[in-house]
Amino acid sequence: MRPIDLSGIGTKYELETENGNKIAVFFLETGRVQIYILEKGCAKPCVIELSHSEAIKLGNILSGAILQTEREGFEISAMADLRLNIHKYVATKKVSGKSIKDLAIRKRTGVTVIAVSREGKTTVNPTPDFVIREGDVLLVIGESEQVKKFEREILGI
Amino acid sequence: MEIAVAAFICSVLALLSRRYLIPSIPLYIVAGLILGKSGFGIFEVDEVVEFITKVGILFLLFYIGLHINFEKLSKNVFISGIFDLVTNFSLAFIASILLGFSYYESFILASAIYISSSAIVLHSLIEFRKLIFKEAETIVWLMVFEDIILVLILIFSSAEVNQLPFFLAKISAFTLAIYLLYKISHNFKPLFSREDEVPLLISFSIATVSITFSEILGIPEGFVAIMLGAALSGIREIERFVTPFKDVFIVLFFFFFGASVEVKAVNLTAAIVFILIAVMGKIISGILIGISSHKSVRSGLEIGFDTIARGEFSIFLAYAYGSGEMMSTIALVVLVTSILGAFMAKHSYEIISKLERSVKLITSQR
Repeated sequence: MRPIDLSGIGTKYELETENGNKIAVFFLETGRVQIYILEKGCAKPCVIELSHSEAIKLGNILSGAILQTEREGFEISAMADLRLNIHKYVATKKVSGKSIKDLAIRKRTGVTVIAVSREGKTTVNPTPDFVIREGDVLLVIGESEQVKKFEREILGI
Repeated sequence: MEIAVAAFICSVLALLSRRYLIPSIPLYIVAGLILGKSGFGIFEVDEVVEFITKVGILFLLFYIGLHINFEKLSKNVFISGIFDLVTNFSLAFIASILLGFSYYESFILASAIYISSSAIVLHSLIEFRKLIFKEAETIVWLMVFEDIILVLILIFSSAEVNQLPFFLAKISAFTLAIYLLYKISHNFKPLFSREDEVPLLISFSIATVSITFSEILGIPEGFVAIMLGAALSGIREIERFVTPFKDVFIVLFFFFFGASVEVKAVNLTAAIVFILIAVMGKIISGILIGISSHKSVRSGLEIGFDTIARGEFSIFLAYAYGSGEMMSTIALVVLVTSILGAFMAKHSYEIISKLERSVKLITSQR
């Protein structure tokens, strides 16, 4: 797809689908984005105008980069058949005072702890000997099922 | 004080214009008319105001210069542009002569009536959701072509006839200097990538720099401003800094233009003739362009309707080169065509469909 420069308007990208529908995206000079969809046989297009951040969100949805956003975590799809969850948890009493090795987190659930934040200080890639305390913020990565298992079996939520 | 009040009034008008999807330029002019010379006389045009309006025009022209791109003009655009120029300029020129204006006045009037308002036309394309249609691209390039013609108009309207060779030599030398500046302009890029006040200050000084150059060299300041824009068009960052200045000063220009218009001076006969020509001319040239570029009269009508609005350039030409009579007459032409043009652009689909139906009806009855 080749961008077309429209002086005074912005940049245009146009796509014609196999069934003859036309889609055009305009990055306006104002920073907003207009998306036109012209169904085959229709005289008038459907148009939406998005802000820059809305356009990025839409782009992420379409490209499948981020499939789901939650407050504490999000799902990314790096490869076609792999959907990884990155999730944030607060350490419960159940795990307090135990090291990552003691808990055998990876062995039991398949989840990896990628960072721990304690009183504003973050430890990235904690060693297996790292001792978790209640209230630590844990950032974990794993497949959706594995993260759920971690939630149930390790944290006991 | 006056300027602050004017800016405040215009900001309210801008909000109204966005809310009700009407072009803002006629609103600013009408506000100026009501509060200025011909109305309540609250706003007077003194030296400071005159300077500000001049700066507004120069920022606008500089901004236009930034977007002028000679390399991208294709043959198709050129043909469309010529249809537009020949039809509209010649109709308005002949009418002006017949109405008793001098050759010079007729040249200015015809130029003002020929040139559409890029601001209103492009804004309508975005606002009325027409960008996907093939006609939109033609219209965008038509506006670029008109900008280039504007450069020529600026040169011709200031040409000193008795010193023509010297004048043209100065213009050519300046154009060459601008070309060289364009070639080395990438060296100035770092100046406009700074985070401090430097790029803003340079951008602000551009308007006054044009005035200085123009006084030293004896060439029109509008021409200097537009060419400086073209010289620096390779620096993308500059637009971000110039746009706020342009937006503020050009709005004040419209307002104070309205304030300095004398309603009594309107030549009503001429205004009515010019309005008819302004509307019919663009429809005719639109049809010609539609047939030649898109092989379709329907496309042509669309192009015609979308380009009816006159605005900033017409006002500027009448203000800079015209008499009081010409100024007020063109003001009326701009008021009517800008509002009518926006209306026609908004409802073009319905209007064209109705036209098609009635044409079919007539031909089937025969």
